[in-house]
Order: sequence, then structure tokens, then C-alpha cells
Amino acid sequence: MKRLLSAAVLAASFAAPMAHAAETVVWWDFLGGGDGVRMKKLIEDFNAENKGNIEIQATTLDWGVPFYTKVQTSAAVGEGPDVMTYHASRIPLAVSQNTLTEITADDMATMGLTADSFAKETWDAVNVDGKQYAVPFDTHPIVLYYNKDLLEKSGLIGADGLPAGLDGLDNFNAALKKLKDDGNEWSIVQVTADGNFAFRTIYSLLCQQGGSIGNDGDWLPGDNPDKLAKAVGVISDWVKDGYNPSYTDYPSTVALFTSGKSPFMINGVWEVPTMVDLKEQGKLFNWGAIELPVLFDKPCTYADSHSFAIPNNEGKPQTPEKHAAVLSVIKYMSEHSLFWATAGHIPANKAVTETAEYKAMQPQATYAKLTANQVFDPKSVHAGVASPLFDAAGNAFTAAMNGETDPVTAVGEMKAALDALQ
Amino acid sequence: MLRNRRSDILVAYLLTAPFIAVYAWLFLWPTIQMVMLSFTDAPLIGAGKSVGLSNYTRMFADPVFHKAVWNTAYFVALTVIPGTAIALLIALMVARLSGWLQSLVLAAFFLPYILPVTVVYVIWDWLTNVQFGMMQGLIEWVTGRPVNIWRTVPWFMPGVAIITIWWTNGFSILLFLAGLRNIPRDLYEAAALDGATRWQMFCRITWPLIWPITVLCLTIQLILQLKIFDQVYLFAMGGRTQATMVLVQYIFEQAFQKNAGGYAATIAVALFVIVVAFSILQFQILRIRGQR
Repeated sequence: MKRLLSAAVLAASFAAPMAHAAETVVWWDFLGGGDGVRMKKLIEDFNAENKGNIEIQATTLDWGVPFYTKVQTSAAVGEGPDVMTYHASRIPLAVSQNTLTEITADDMATMGLTADSFAKETWDAVNVDGKQYAVPFDTHPIVLYYNKDLLEKSGLIGADGLPAGLDGLDNFNAALKKLKDDGNEWSIVQVTADGNFAFRTIYSLLCQQGGSIGNDGDWLPGDNPDKLAKAVGVISDWVKDGYNPSYTDYPSTVALFTSGKSPFMINGVWEVPTMVDLKEQGKLFNWGAIELPVLFDKPCTYADSHSFAIPNNEGKPQTPEKHAAVLSVIKYMSEHSLFWATAGHIPANKAVTETAEYKAMQPQATYAKLTANQVFDPKSVHAGVASPLFDAAGNAFTAAMNGETDPVTAVGEMKAALDALQ
Repeated sequence: MLRNRRSDILVAYLLTAPFIAVYAWLFLWPTIQMVMLSFTDAPLIGAGKSVGLSNYTRMFADPVFHKAVWNTAYFVALTVIPGTAIALLIALMVARLSGWLQSLVLAAFFLPYILPVTVVYVIWDWLTNVQFGMMQGLIEWVTGRPVNIWRTVPWFMPGVAIITIWWTNGFSILLFLAGLRNIPRDLYEAAALDGATRWQMFCRITWPLIWPITVLCLTIQLILQLKIFDQVYLFAMGGRTQATMVLVQYIFEQAFQKNAGGYAATIAVALFVIVVAFSILQFQILRIRGQR
């Protein structure tokens, strides 16, 4: 018996280091589209390079409220992942729910990153009350996609090969009119069935007027309601004048653009892979994407950031070995985010966007300069993707964009909905 | 044979004990906890402090809650009785077929019932797409222009109701068909000999004998439709969710999106009371009707 026992102990002591040889990192993300395919490639590459040391075990979950609910509930009982993707705009709510672990200055030093590695707004978005809660991986703004062939026909391509004469609301509307008069079915498409999605454009146009959305208790201070109504009015005018189709949902928007029925589309950079793939198959015209033109006083575009966060697993803090493994995963991803740029997203790490390879990448390199003019969601527990703020926009602006109510009424409704949040 | 009644009772208790224990643990205890939660300001996870009746006063003054109650009631009115009537009609027609043809037609009506709600959503969202949907031809013929049903508030609930009837009707048809088969054929033969018309046969034989099945269908439908959530959530996503809000969706929104567990529990208690009240009411009314 005693011999059996000592044999078991011996076996266990051999087995133990072997079991610990590879540190596993449990990874959750919400990347289900073309970018998800690219993320899987990055994970595979990491696992191949770190064979025997670190292994990422990745799971992709449903985007939006389901993902964040699962993270919140599982972290509360210590069953969360070791690392996960997180929208920067959702961080204030996560911090209030005690779901995230702080990223310390030591952690950043280990990864060789500093605040200066990122654009100012992107860095600011992952910090709450002076503490950092995530490492930015990318910036994903909305951009203006264009059909170069159709624009050329209407004389809207400049000498540099990029769309020209679009700055200023009057000029832009004149261009839309020209495109419509030249026989295009539509001049511009963007999602008009979901005010929730269109909020990205509306928020950009609000910012272009120097406006902003405030915070709890004072959501639209000063003359912001007027500016917001003006921003909504831009889209409702497009719909009224027949430039932009009404009540059009997301997939139809992409279909109208890719089938050549509309020369312009406002959408997120995450549709870049769709265009690249179609073009490769020879099913697409010459296309490009640029920063939103300046329709009002200054350039400004809505953006959010996919970042990496470490959940605060209640009762199960990370061991130093696990933590080191997680940091090396984040470091690897940040350093290899050039490949991530093929998904359209702008790598957050400036060292990557400054490389010659990135600067040669089109149309990414053309719109990447917008990171100097980006605006993130207001820092509130009620803001961020799939948040009450987005929902309030969905309810108020869907009706206004399609002419069921006027923009001023819609802004009043939105303000009332936001003021009622508690 | 005489047996000891007391030991019988003991055995009965012993045999039902596992069920009662599980039922109390998994159903009664959570229900009690939900009621207790409604008196607190708890977030989705963790405890909150007691706030007395303030969740209830807030709920009764909440315009979105009123809207949700109204929309849920409207949806129930649009689906329960019309859906059951349509199921009965289809069952009567299917009953007249026989052999493999009957099985085939029945399968065709039952097929949608086995689809998950997401598939139902994708099919219909596609069919009714305002730019590319096949049904827009029909809609344009009626209204003169394409209509996005899921963003036009007056169209929304009737639209979801039609899809729900299409989706869930197979089950009611199956129940009705089973009921129709249980009616002895000689009753109809005797009636035919007495010169009864088809309509008289339906009113005097089929309808009274199928009544218990009708009650069953109506009760199942009522409870099911009061809990409407998935279809409305999917079709309204991103758009005018407040205008088309239903009760379970509002519970979801408060608990999971707004992190207000206490208030969500309050709405859940309200829904619980409504379901219980409606079920008792319907059961009583249908019983009186059945006894006549």
C-alpha cells in the first residue's frame, strides 16, 4: 500500500510540471464577421509560435448585450475568461459593475506600451477616473465608401484620384443632386431603419458643429439640442429629397452599394473586407473609402475601440504566471495588428500604423488620418454600443429620419428618454 | 380488500416528496425571491437595499410600462382567438382528406412549428425587406408604396401576429385533428339519416364535442402569447423599441441592459399577476360555457 502511494506521488510530481508546461489563456470575443476570421488566424499564429508555453483557448460569443451580460455574470462568480475583447465605450458601465481588473503601469511596461502608443481619444476612452481598464487594439470609425466609377462619370473625382468637392453641407448636397440627376437610383445609402445604427453618423455631424452629448443629469447642455436637430435634419433631408432610401436596414444598405445602385455609403470600416473579397472575385467596381467630409465647421467622426480587458474574476485572482501569459498575448496582438488592419479596423498601436506596410494599404491608409479628429461616446454608464443611449437614439431618430416626426420633436423625445434614465 | 388508510397517505406523500422538493426548490423559491427582489433596488447581480413600494409606484407611473401592457394585450387579442379559429378551420379541412395526402398536408402545416424563432425571423425579414423583399409587390399593390412593416408602428403588431399564427398554428391543428378523430362516426351517420345539413352537423355534433380541445388550445395560446418576447425583440431591434415594447421584453431591457434587477422583478411580478388573473378568468368563463 505504502509503495503504491509513493508511486502515485511520484507519478503526480512528474505529471504536475507537464500539466503546467503550457499556460492556457481562456479568451472570449464577440467577433463574428469578416474580422472574426482574421482574429482566428492571429490566435492560430500565436499558438503556433508559443507552442508548449502558452495556449489561447478562444470562444466567440454573440455581440452586444448577450456578450456583456455573460461577462458580467460570469466574472461575478469567478467563471469569466482570462482575457476578452471589450468595446472602449462600454468600459464606464463595466467599471461601475466591478467587472474589470485595472491595467497597471507595470503591466504596460511589461508589454512595452505607453499612453503615447495610442491616439489621444483612444487612450482616453480606456481610462476611467485616472485608472486604465483595457489596452486599445484598434479604432473602428465610420467612413464614407464611394464607387469610383460612378463618381468619375459625374466628375466628382479630383486630380489626386480621391472624391473632390464634398466639403461643406451645400457642396455635399449639390454632389448628391448631381449624382441623382445623372441617373443613379440613389445618391447615398446609410441605415435609415435603425436610428440606433444611424446614431454614429448623427453623432459625428453633431461633433462637426462643435456640439457634444453631455452626461447623466445634463445630457444636452446649452445649444446642443439645436445642433443635434440640425444633424438629424441632414439625413431626413436626404431621405425627403430622394437621395437616401427610407427605412433601409443594414444588409440592404450594403447590397445597394455593392450592386452599384448608390455611389456613396456611410458605414463602419468593418465592411472593408466585404469590398476587398468582392473585388478579388471580380464582382465589384473600383471603390474606396475616405474620412467623412466636413459638412459643418470641423472634421469629426464617431469611433469606438476594440480593446483587451481582463475580467475581475470574483474570488479567483489571476496567478502571476497566468497574468504574465495574458500580457504576452495582448502584447503579441498589439504588435501584430497590421494583419488586423485588413479587417478595416485602424490598429490602435501607432507603431503599426506608422510602418511602410500600413501606409501602402488602401483604402486603410487614406482614412486612417481621421484618428486625429475622432469622437468617442460620452463617458457614462448609460452610453456605449447597445446601450440605453443608443436605444434612445433608435427610438427618436428612426421616426425623424424617415419624416414621421420632425428633427426638433425627435431631439425632445431623446432628451426626455435620457433624462428618465436612473 | 381493506387497507390502512394512514399508511396509504404516508406512501403517497413519500412518493410525491421528490417532486414537491424539486418543485419548491426550482419554482416556488425563485418566485418568492422574485417578489422579495421587487422591494429592493438590486442591480442584475448582487443584493440591493430595501426601497419599500417605490418600484411599484414608479411602475404604475411609467409610460413605457403602460405601453408594454397595452401592446401585450393587443397582441393577445390578435393571436389567441383568431389563431385558434384558423387552426380549427384548417383542421376541419385536413380531416376531410385521407391517407398519405392527409399526412402530407398536415406535415406542411406543422413544418413551421419546428423552426427556431431566429429562422422564422430571418425568413420573414427577408420576405418583407423594403428594398428586395418578395412581399413588397403585394404590399405596394395595397398601399401604393413599399412599406417597412417592422418600422411602421401600426403595421408592427398585426405583422408579428400573422407570423406568430403561421409559426405556432401547427400544434393547435394537431390537437384539433386528434379531437375530431375521437368523434364517433355513427353520430354523423345518424344525423345524416335524420336529414341534418352539414352546418347543423357542425353546430350540434362537432362543435360541442370538440369544445374541450378548444378550451385547451385557447388556454395554451393565452399563456404562451402573454409571454411574447422573441419575435417582437428580433423584429424591433435597433428601431422603435419603445413604441412596440411588450412586457417580457421590458423585463429583459430593465434587467440586462439597464442593470435594474429590482425594477425588472417588479414588472415580472406584474406579469405574473396578469397571467394568473387571465388564466383563472378564462378557465371560469370557458367552464360555464362548457356546462351549458
